[in-house]
Order: sequence, then structure tokens, then C-alpha cells
Amino acid sequence: MLRVDTYPTHEHNGIKIRRGKALPFGATIVPGGVNFSVFSKHATSCELVLFKKHEKNPFAIIPFPDEFRIGNVFTMMVFDIDYENIEYGYRMDGPYNPREGFWFDKEEILLDPYAKAIGGREVWGREPDWNDKFQHRSRIIFDDFDWQGDRPLEIDMKDLVIYEAHVRGLTKHPSSDVKYPGTFTAIRDKIPYLKKLGINCIELLPVFEFDEFEHSKISKVTGERLMNYWGYSAVGFFAPKAGYAATGKFGMEVDELKNLVKELHKNGIEVILDVVFNHTAEGNEKGPYISYRGIDNKTYYLLTPEGYYYNFSGCGNTLNCNNPIVRNMILDCLRYWAAEYHIDGFRFDLASILSRDQKGAPMVNPPLLEALAHDPVLGKCKLIAEAWDAGGLYQVGSFPAWGRWAEWNGQYRDDLRRFLKGNGDMVGRIVQRIQGSPDLYSDRGPTASINFITCHDGFTLMDLFSYNRKHNDANGESNRDGADENYSWNFGHEGPTDDYGINRERIKQVKNAITILLLSRGVPMILAGDEFGNTQFGNNNAYCQDNEISWLNWNLLESNREIFDYFKKMIELRKKHPVLRAEQFKTAYNSSGYPEVSWHGQEAWNFDFGASTLTVAVMFAGGAEDYGTEDDQFIYAAINMHWELHGFELPELPEGKSWYVISNTGMIPPQDMWDENNYKKLADQSEVLVGARSIILLTAK
Amino acid sequence: MEIKVNNQDDIKVIKLIGDFDGSSANKVEDNIMPYIENHSRLIFDMGECEYVSSAGLRVLLIIAKKLKSVEGFGVLSNLSEEVQDVMEITGFSHILNSYDTVNEAINYMKKGE
Repeated sequence: MLRVDTYPTHEHNGIKIRRGKALPFGATIVPGGVNFSVFSKHATSCELVLFKKHEKNPFAIIPFPDEFRIGNVFTMMVFDIDYENIEYGYRMDGPYNPREGFWFDKEEILLDPYAKAIGGREVWGREPDWNDKFQHRSRIIFDDFDWQGDRPLEIDMKDLVIYEAHVRGLTKHPSSDVKYPGTFTAIRDKIPYLKKLGINCIELLPVFEFDEFEHSKISKVTGERLMNYWGYSAVGFFAPKAGYAATGKFGMEVDELKNLVKELHKNGIEVILDVVFNHTAEGNEKGPYISYRGIDNKTYYLLTPEGYYYNFSGCGNTLNCNNPIVRNMILDCLRYWAAEYHIDGFRFDLASILSRDQKGAPMVNPPLLEALAHDPVLGKCKLIAEAWDAGGLYQVGSFPAWGRWAEWNGQYRDDLRRFLKGNGDMVGRIVQRIQGSPDLYSDRGPTASINFITCHDGFTLMDLFSYNRKHNDANGESNRDGADENYSWNFGHEGPTDDYGINRERIKQVKNAITILLLSRGVPMILAGDEFGNTQFGNNNAYCQDNEISWLNWNLLESNREIFDYFKKMIELRKKHPVLRAEQFKTAYNSSGYPEVSWHGQEAWNFDFGASTLTVAVMFAGGAEDYGTEDDQFIYAAINMHWELHGFELPELPEGKSWYVISNTGMIPPQDMWDENNYKKLADQSEVLVGARSIILLTAK
Repeated sequence: MEIKVNNQDDIKVIKLIGDFDGSSANKVEDNIMPYIENHSRLIFDMGECEYVSSAGLRVLLIIAKKLKSVEGFGVLSNLSEEVQDVMEITGFSHILNSYDTVNEAINYMKKGE
């Protein structure tokens, strides 16, 4: 049946138009044409600017007749558009008075904040034409991907093992052996590898369209071009980064990313996106007009009483997240990614900004966070907060959660690093961290804690044990950028060395770290490449390094095979022991007849929680009745971060069971970790000797 | 875009010449749909089609679904490596099987009887 409203009512220079629908915002393909809808509260008039793809000058500029405006929304349906071969933008007229927060400029062509695809940077690193006034161009897409029955996997939070990766960095290095390096599709080529490693969730650094040329310059130190490589600076929130797609030059990045998600799901791997809603790529007062500033500056940004941009993000501006318009845009955006891309969860960069009110003050019950927690479409999505911002708000343990939000546990990272380095004062905190941080998340449970020792921001795991100091000279800021507190230690030589002893110590520390991470209750997160000792050559802030500093060197997978094997077996071990993945802080006696989690010193059952010590042992006793396992499970970890060997008296096991060695980080392969059917029975069942800076894992059979 | 149709017994070999994109998508759809009836068998010769856009792929998907609904059968042949890669990367390769040459496609269809 034909609709009555599929006929034009007006004509502008031969282009047929009619009043459009106010919702949904953005450009939507409808029978006969495309519906355009854009919000601006303060604009006095608006024009739709249409371009043929890639052309500098528009082929049409169509003013919105006032009768097409509904409330603060300009709407128009344009007929007979070759949607695939056009790009569009808006021009808005209105007051220009920065002191009052108004930045209207009717000459600027603006990106649609709801653009589902964005042209202008389709091929990564290809220098744009800077004379083009319209750099980031809204495009129109068809939302009809053939999902063949796929939907988000809804893996229980407790069972996740997250792998944090940069789309480009994962496969750009020549050693990565893929046909289209550095792209979404290349991640598909790595799926067999990821499955072998055993992770079941990949968390991608920002994939919303950004400008890799933002703040780009030539490094005075290396002569190389510094890029906005990490991409924590969204140009548009609804469009995938075209330059990450092998098919970006054909405008097919949307389908390419959807197909990647579908293939990952088919292989049991979830996808979490790192989303950056705290600021935009428009920067401060000196930044460019891309979209929001020219569409409704006062709505989109947090402004000081004098009209300047608040800078809680450290990136020049702050998105006005708890303004009802912006709040709805964020909600629309996440719903879109969840529903149309089947994304399984989101990690919110500098999420504390999302809890600030329109004047920048932190709120007790921020409406945006509450809305996200209770949203129907996001009902099964993982929501993970980076619970701090650059304005001094630090909410680890106190981020408003409504039982839905998890957090990057920055405390876990810092405490673990300090303990591994040899700070015995940390031991009380380590006890908390291994139990899932009940001190921080008492009413939320261990799965509120994303446990990690390394992430994209900071040293890689191997560098943590290879460098005392950051080495960020290549970033061109005289090594001033990047964190100074790394709690790292180089074992006596700064950087790579041929010294066999030092290299053994480093590998051992890597294994120690991953052992504790994968034993800990909560949700472990691994930085891509740590599983084969990837290095950033001491750079702990590689945000601008689009080169071998950031790209994973897959050759190391061969030379550090023992690290990969150890990671893989530790992940397997975690998967087989539900007691490690508990959703509650259960430590009391259970059906095994033992306390579910018990702490021991060099003497069994005797641990001084107030002491400063580098020797501690933990025993997990998973009762078969409690966890539905075949038999009661016991895991005992003797952790010796001291520089001397120590003996640990072992807790007595139930009648008929004996202690067997799972792993010993102090040994070289194959004795570092045995296969399950090959665990070695301890000759002395009453005591185990643990070498300097080593961990021995035991199980009972 | 030019469309040439040849009959090989009861198989229709459809040659698409030029770029298969948004500006030609409707034309292809309108021209091909009439050939789709019960048990019809189509081979697309893509040898002179260097570019298939997202709109083009969607037309192929619609043709494939339509063929399936009438128990028809369609395959692609002669795809350039680039077009083949694009289909594979964007998740469209499952819609129609593909053969290196038209003859291979014909042989396969005949044996499939």
C-alpha cells in the first residue's frame, strides 16, 4: 500500500522535498527518499547541504522552510536521492557570542551528530585536502545487515576473560600475517588465535569515527608523523572509524564491522567497545567547527559562566552529558550500537564526567548513569566505567552502580604492581584484591571489579619488568607526558638485555603477574600482546605512535612461546574452577568442609593480616555441592615475592587426597606449568619450597 | 551499467558490465527479477564488473533470497579478487556460491540436477 506522505509538496531548484518526520534524528532512508532531522535549540535557521561524494562544492543547498521545523527540530524529506553517492551537512544561522555560549556561523558546514557513516578519512593516514571546508562528511547507510540469527552472547560477567586491543595495533605489524593489516577484517583472521588463547571477550579501543590527523605533527625526535593513534576523541558517535575498515574506501565500514562482530560471536567471543562520551574532537576555543559547536554549542558543552569550555577531560572540552538532549543522544547512540551492531558491552572512558551536572559538579544520582543502568535495549549489556576523570573526580569503589555498573579497578593495578615489585606493606590489600576487592565493592560483588595489571594506558606487562622509568621521548614532549608512578622495576638493566638471568627474572615476573590476575575473583582483563611479552620499548603513553612502538610484534610469539603457553593454561585453569569466578564474596566454610577462601603464611592457617610480608598463601576450596563440580576442588597458591627461597607449610587435605603441583613460575618449561593430566604429586605433602619471586600452584587429587 | 542475458539451455547467464552501485542497483533489480520464477537457474558473470557497492551487494542478497523462496538457484562467476574480498569481508559471501569461470558454474549447475 502506498503511503499518502510519499509525495513531495515542495520543490527547490528541481529537488523535490516535503516536511519530514522529527524522529528519528539523523538521515533515514524512507520510501521515495531520505528523511533528514536535526536538533538545534538556538539556531534561527538551517540549511541542508548536499554533496556528490568527495566533491568540494555542494550540488544543492536547501533551506528548511520554517513550516518544516517542529519545536527545535528541523526536518525535511528529500526525494530521489542516490543515497550511496552523496554526503551531507548542515549550515546553521544564529547568534555568535562566545561569552554567552553561542558560536553560530552560517558559513560552516556541519556534520550531522547522528551520522551513521562519516566520509573524509576513509583510508587511514591518507593526508586530507586541508582546503576542503567540510572535513568530516555525514553519509547515509542502509541498516539491513543479514545477521543470520546472531545476537549478543550474554556471557555471564563472572565468566569473562577480557582482551583489550587496538584495532590497528593488533595486526598492523608486518609480522601479523594477514591480508589487510590494521583493519576490522584482520581481527577475523586472528579469531583462531584468540580462541586458542582462551579469551572470550575482546574490548576494542575507540572505534567511533575520529581524526587520526587531529594534533598531528612531525616528531622532532624521530622525524616521524605523530598521529591521534588511540582515537580517544570522537568526531561522531554513531559511525565506525572508516579508516579501520579494509572496505572503508568503498564506504562499507558498517557492514565490515558488523560482519566482524558476527564472526566473533560465532566463535564465542563477545565485543566490548571503549566509548568516549566525555568530550569531542572539537577541542577548546581554538578548535575547529566539526558539528556540535556550530549546531548548538550551549547544549552540547559544559561552559564556565564566562562561556569558556570546562576541561574535565583534559582534552579541551567537556560534553554536557546530563543535559537532557545530550543524555538522549548518548542513550540513542548506545542503543544503536547494541541493537544494530550486536555489541555486548561498553567501557566508558573517564566515566566520572558522566556523573557531573550541567555546572560540572558531581551528582549523587546522575540521571544519565541511571538511565543507562535501567535501559531496556541495554538490559543485558555490560557497562564498565573508568571511574575517574581528569578533573579530579575519583570514584573507584563508589561509582553510582544500580547493580549494573562494573569498574576498571585502578586500585587492583596499583596494589598488584607494588606487591610484585617487592612492597610487603601491600599484602593486606593483596588479600582484598584476590578476593575480588570486597573492601571496594562490598554490596556489589566481585564482578563489579575489572581486574587488570596493564592496559593500553601505561607500560605493557613485559615493559613493567624491563624499565624503571618511562621512555616517551618519541612523543615529542621531552618525556613529560605519561604517568610517572608505574611501580615498575627493570631487574638491574634498563631495557632489553642479553643477560640470561635478568631475562629469566622478567619472564618469571610476567608469569607471577598473570597467575595472580587469573586467580583473583572479579573479571580479568589482559592487554593484547602481553601474552607473548610484547614491548613498547618503555613508552608508557603511546597514544600518538602509529608505528612499531604500538604495533604488536607477532615474532615475539615464537621467541616467547613459553609466556603464551603459560597464559593459555592459566586461562584454562580459571575456566575449570568455578570457585575462582564466584559472584559473591564467599569465604566461609562450605560443603568441602573447608573455608572457601583461606589465608596462610609460611605456617598453614596462620597469616598475620597486619604484617608487612612478601610471603602469603591463599587456598580456594570449591565445594562440589556449592559449585556443581564432580569433586571438591582445592587450589593452593604459595606466593613468594621475597628475594629469597621460603618454605610454606601446607594445609592438611581431606582423607585420601594429596597435593599435586600445577605450576611453578620459578621453573623453565615444561616444568613451569603442567597439563592437567600430568600434574606432579608432591613428594613432601607437608611443605613446599618456593623459590625467590615465584609462585607455586597446587591442587588436590 | 549494461546487462546482457544469454540462455545456456535452461540456465540464464547474466553478464553485468560496469560498476554495480547505487545508481545501477534499481536497474539490475528491475531487469533480473522477471527472470526469477519457479526453479529458475541464474549465473552471474561478473568478469566485467569491477566494483560492487553496498547497494549492489544488497541487490544480490535480495535476488538470492527471492531465488530461495521459489526453489531457484543462483551462483556468481568470474569475480575479481577485489570484489570477492569485499563480499567476504562485509559478510555477503554466504549469499551466493561463486565459481572461477562461467563454464565451471554451468558444469556445477548441470551436475547439480
